[in-house]
Amino acid sequence: MKISKQQSGDIGVIIIEEKEANLSNSDEFKELILEEITSGTRKLIISFKQVEYLDSSFLGALVAILKALLPYNGKLILTDMNDDIVNLFQLTRLDKIFILHNDLENAVKEF
Amino acid sequence: MNKTLPIILHLDIPKHVDEIYSFTKTVLATIMEYKELDLAQQRRVKMIMVELVTNSIKHSTDENSSIKLAIDHPTVCIEKFEKGLKIEFSSTAQQIPFEEIDKTIKISFSEENNHHIQTLDRYKFKFLNPFVEGLSLDQIPEHFGFYIITLASDSFVYQYDPEMKENRYIVNLNL
Repeated sequence: MKISKQQSGDIGVIIIEEKEANLSNSDEFKELILEEITSGTRKLIISFKQVEYLDSSFLGALVAILKALLPYNGKLILTDMNDDIVNLFQLTRLDKIFILHNDLENAVKEF
Repeated sequence: MNKTLPIILHLDIPKHVDEIYSFTKTVLATIMEYKELDLAQQRRVKMIMVELVTNSIKHSTDENSSIKLAIDHPTVCIEKFEKGLKIEFSSTAQQIPFEEIDKTIKISFSEENNHHIQTLDRYKFKFLNPFVEGLSLDQIPEHFGFYIITLASDSFVYQYDPEMKENRYIVNLNL
């Protein structure tokens, strides 16, 4: 799973460097982010700028990450999703659960 | 676009995850040779195809899983065929073959993977709209495959053929 990590103050920014966010990389991605949370990151942004499609396995991984942040009063913002991915969140009504932003700059301002 | 309908196509399901999206796009392009679809309709087809194929790669041991695509007006029917054991539910839910027909029951594949279904016959059921208003984060499942297919389609039916030992997943779309 190719990701890059940036730090903006106390905000961890994860950029997914893959075109496909799916069954092949969802478990690894979840473990990587859960490690970030375990090591103290409480404010997270995940950018999907390079992701073309996302499947149910990855959606499940994102829900698990959000649940893991709950006990720490953490916050997760998802950014740069294409229209197909936003539509998937709307269909499953996860757009009511997750915070979605159009771009990274606005996401950082949200914290 | 005035090609004669219905068109029936039989497709082999990809065996590797990295083939799923290109397969999905090929299926969509095939449908669009016969039907004009707007963006929302194209998304529904893509989501359903991705989840049907992902489900096979994740759970099926059948090397010869296949899809039958029936393109008609106004419906497109996507049927997935997999040899093997029937679906089994966890917990205390009724199992296939069902004893009660035309009943709504709650089934579960795991603790966080629950569905409401309507039994259609002893070996057949329809997935029902999964949502309950006001669901909180701790109630949100982490398994979305069947949810997505149910929500993106006009009907999603599972059928088991005990003689053929075959699972059939039947998705209908009005397009």
